[in-house]
Amino acid sequence: MSRYRIPGMGRVDPAAPVSFTFDGRRYTGLRGDTVASALLANGVHLMGRSFKYHRPRGPVSAGSEEPNALIGTSRGPGRFEPNTRATVQELRQGLVTESQNKFPSLKFDIGAVNDRAYMLFSAGFYYKTFMWPRSFWDKVYEPFIRAAAGLGKSPTEVDPDEYASRYLHTDVLVIGGGASGIAAALVAARSGARVVLVDENAEMGGSLLSDPSVRIDGRGSWAWLAEQLSQLRAAGVRLMTRTTAIGYYHQNFVGLCERLTDHLDQPPHGAPRERMWRVRAEQVVLAQGALEKPLVFDGNDRPGVMLAGSAQTYLNRYGVKVGDCAAVVTSHDSAYYTAFDLVDAGGRVAVIADTRDQVRPDLVEAARRRGIQLLTGHTVTTTYGRLRIKGVRVNPVKGGQVGAGRKIACDTLLMSGGWTPSLHLFSHTKGSLTWDADSRTFLPNHKTEACQIAGAGRGLWGYGPVIEDGVKAGLAAAEALGRTGTAFGAGVEGDRPGTGVSQKELPTDLSAGKAKAFVDYQNDVTAKDIRLAVREGMRSIEHVKRYTTNGMATDQGKMSNINGLMIAADALGKQPPQVGLTTFRPPYTPTSFGAFAGYHKGATFELTRKTPIDPWAEAQGAVFEPVSLWRRAWYFPKGGEDMHAAVARECRATRASVGMFDASTLGKIEVAGPDAVEFMNRMYTNPWTKLAPGRCRYGLLLGEDGFIRDDGVIGRLSQDLFHVTTTTGGAARVLNMMEDYLQTEWPDLNVWLTSTTEQWSTVAVNGPNARKVLEPLVEGLDMSDANFPHMSVAECTVAGLPARLFRISFTGELGFEINVPARHGLALWKAIHEAGRAYDICPYGTESMHVLRAEKGYIIVGQDTDGTVTPQDAGLDWAIGKAKKDFVGKRSLQRPDIVAPNRKQLVGLLTEDGTRLEEGAQIVLDPNQKTPMTMAGHVTSSYDSVALGRPIAMAVITGGHNRMGETVHIPMPNGTIRAKVTSTNFYDPEGERLKA
Amino acid sequence: MTTQRHDFNAQPFLLEELPPVGRFSLRVRPGQREALAAALGLELPTAIGQRSSAGQTEVLCLGPDEWAILTAEAERDALVAAGAAAYAQIPHSLVEVSDREITLRLSGAQALTALTAVCPRDIDAIPVGRGARTLFDSATVLLWRDGPQDFRMDVWRSFLPHVRAILDKITVELKSGL
Repeated sequence: MSRYRIPGMGRVDPAAPVSFTFDGRRYTGLRGDTVASALLANGVHLMGRSFKYHRPRGPVSAGSEEPNALIGTSRGPGRFEPNTRATVQELRQGLVTESQNKFPSLKFDIGAVNDRAYMLFSAGFYYKTFMWPRSFWDKVYEPFIRAAAGLGKSPTEVDPDEYASRYLHTDVLVIGGGASGIAAALVAARSGARVVLVDENAEMGGSLLSDPSVRIDGRGSWAWLAEQLSQLRAAGVRLMTRTTAIGYYHQNFVGLCERLTDHLDQPPHGAPRERMWRVRAEQVVLAQGALEKPLVFDGNDRPGVMLAGSAQTYLNRYGVKVGDCAAVVTSHDSAYYTAFDLVDAGGRVAVIADTRDQVRPDLVEAARRRGIQLLTGHTVTTTYGRLRIKGVRVNPVKGGQVGAGRKIACDTLLMSGGWTPSLHLFSHTKGSLTWDADSRTFLPNHKTEACQIAGAGRGLWGYGPVIEDGVKAGLAAAEALGRTGTAFGAGVEGDRPGTGVSQKELPTDLSAGKAKAFVDYQNDVTAKDIRLAVREGMRSIEHVKRYTTNGMATDQGKMSNINGLMIAADALGKQPPQVGLTTFRPPYTPTSFGAFAGYHKGATFELTRKTPIDPWAEAQGAVFEPVSLWRRAWYFPKGGEDMHAAVARECRATRASVGMFDASTLGKIEVAGPDAVEFMNRMYTNPWTKLAPGRCRYGLLLGEDGFIRDDGVIGRLSQDLFHVTTTTGGAARVLNMMEDYLQTEWPDLNVWLTSTTEQWSTVAVNGPNARKVLEPLVEGLDMSDANFPHMSVAECTVAGLPARLFRISFTGELGFEINVPARHGLALWKAIHEAGRAYDICPYGTESMHVLRAEKGYIIVGQDTDGTVTPQDAGLDWAIGKAKKDFVGKRSLQRPDIVAPNRKQLVGLLTEDGTRLEEGAQIVLDPNQKTPMTMAGHVTSSYDSVALGRPIAMAVITGGHNRMGETVHIPMPNGTIRAKVTSTNFYDPEGERLKA
Repeated sequence: MTTQRHDFNAQPFLLEELPPVGRFSLRVRPGQREALAAALGLELPTAIGQRSSAGQTEVLCLGPDEWAILTAEAERDALVAAGAAAYAQIPHSLVEVSDREITLRLSGAQALTALTAVCPRDIDAIPVGRGARTLFDSATVLLWRDGPQDFRMDVWRSFLPHVRAILDKITVELKSGL
């Protein structure tokens, strides 16, 4: 048994030792321990070095609010985590833990020099020190700040763990499994409601676990607790432990992070480490209790100084005596019970120093009976010791005068500055708070969500009152659900009621300017930092917070916010509510990225859509590129070709004979109904009325602002039916835009839109031999140019499959696009590939598609347009139905700045020296002007063209359409490139090849 | 106190990919719903999520003017013909989307739990015999509840690999018993 473990006490299992290491040394704890309780059982208080001053620190609490005992934990290869709270991490066999922020060792740390140079690190240190000279910022200050920032080492390996998620809908969610929450859950569940009760601890019970001497309903509190839990289970309540409610969002949506395996010696195969629950509850009961406040005095951070209530938890819940000889300093009754429990367990309490002059007589009597020296009206002015407290200096305070101090030896100092109701989740809802002048604390006031608040979370104290309040909250939740609850009472004997006073930093007879009286342990903020901030002009607590960093650590000021506010209010001579309270934001406690990511890691990081032909491309060794959510074959390298060679071969083969391309990702929308043509006329710039069934047209879609949004070829299949194609990335956007207009502007039109993108798989066949390849496969259609000219569409059979066959081209060659039901897409692809063998048919990818279309000057929306390009800018005036009364964007096309001649217009560029331009490169008209030069436009597309034997580019240039033949300049790092402005139609400008 | 016991579940749910069926998206103005229903020989329910069936044909109401229709492959042509015959009198849109989606069936003890892993909707609140258009992770799906632990999920074809990969992860997770 470890030196400080008390046999027979605590809820740990003495028959189950658990071995772990801390800083390389092996220790043994018990099943049920946290790392902190196990180390304390072994007499180890020193667990880390503080963030700024590298001061030695030990655990100050026993829970998730811990600011000091932050350690590195390793649960095996790749499973290192920094800043684990030793007070939360449960022991598991073989757990490897280490202290942080120390060099070379925890006991001797060079960084502790900061502690002696503390004058340099006062409030506003960054703002004052790193301002001048300006030239120091990049090379000196920023690297220094970045190196000093953060606590603990970031993991360097890929996280091998899995994370999960779950949605949960329930009638009542009770947050906090203490006496109050249990009562609320029981009442709500018995009313017939579905109830979930969550608690961040390893077991339910809250403070009951630390108060076994209290008797409820004639039983010990632990027996009562066990009985209530079995009743909750019987009533069908879902009990979730190790589950932290991290955020409370709109409409009673609460995020829960459940820790599943960190405490297990051997997690089952495939078990996720954590699971994020997204809960939607009709009613939420907040029963989170209260957090104990430290007192603020010089040396209140020395290892061995801890919250009294936490010492009581270590004693009763873990059977660990935190020291041999304790001193207590308090301004609240609750610390007396800690002292009593310690003495009753065989420990020694040297003194209780109470800042109050008057103390409840029963407490005085109980202390006297136990032989504890009680000093009322006293303050603590400093502590002694280095790596562990050795003594405390106490002084009497009379009429505001601090008397002479005397040293009292101790190895632990237990403090209580009273209790702060946990308002974090309530604050997430933007519920308003009210200042309670009597208890000098904020309490929940106006609620914005359907929630109840019960117990110590709204300032109540003692088991009798909080159980009664939990019952009330349960009844209120049931009633809000239209159910009838039944109240129950609980008779509490030996209850531990308590009151206290709220303190700023304790009065002292020593120099306040030298006092290291910590308010925020995690960020190393002292009382004098806060007073300095006020002296330097900070008036609002929000400014004080940012200037001092008080409450800005990962513990979000759970211990420091109220103390900081008390001191700032005192310095300003104002009441605390006039100075304000900082905002709490989710998550309540630090939460792993993994829990937020859930299943979205590795292959399922993001949804990837694949076409029916994708497996064939993969088998052929295609290189893929992402296009919106799709992955598309980019090019098909052969025999070690690089991209350049593969694309050149694919382009050459297509123009020489025939190529084939998977166009399945193109968006497709079926526009059907008697008003289909009217709808098309209103949506697209082009005229559709005269388009005969069986014919196609290039369609251009603008936004209301007149800028190009999307384009695609549209076929009219019958009088009332259009087959619309969109860009791959624009499919969903275009359908949404169309539906929006239809539902809000033109609800009178009898037309309906259906997405058919995935109904059809599409193969494009292009090249002079395209018809020769397809003709043997096509039935029910005369494919001759006379019968089926360019821009035709027909329903027929291709390779025995029902098909919609388009004669269209995005290459400038004779081209066809065959749509078949998607399940047959791969079969169609293979059939065409087989039929094309005689013509050396060449599968090509998106890169060759881009080159081939650029040779013809066909735009790609989103590449050659950027949301500010009009049809005129893109040279697409011809696609506008000039006679049409209206279409989306028509009016905008007449605005003065849209018709201005100096707009950036799409042109072709040919470099004089034959270099290939860089896409995105800026263009200037005069290379000899002074810098910064006036930029006239930029390159939108640029490729090596096999067909032209030279690189080609497209660009938008100011007034470009009137600059044909002019030379423009593209300044690059290695010199300025000269290029001639040309038409974008580089290849076969007469379009003879389309008519083949 | 730490619990070190786990309940393992060797087969949390059964996942099957069902053979293709005829699928249609039907749109018609609410005022002409009844007339069209008569012409097609179907019941077109009016409450979103409500279903009807006749023979091997099933209908799910997705909106005030939108229905999903599943038919046996053999009955497809008859439905199309009936729609075409009624069109002049009752304008509507009946678009075949048989190949747009693939249907997965999830059944077994933890089928519902598996869906709650990534589906934000209150799955348990969908009565048996009804359906819903909802999300499975980031994929839009039609969910048909055929029994307390028996679901069909129509997934757009290209989203299927992702949906299956997520379901594989959920299977491993549920098998672990945690």
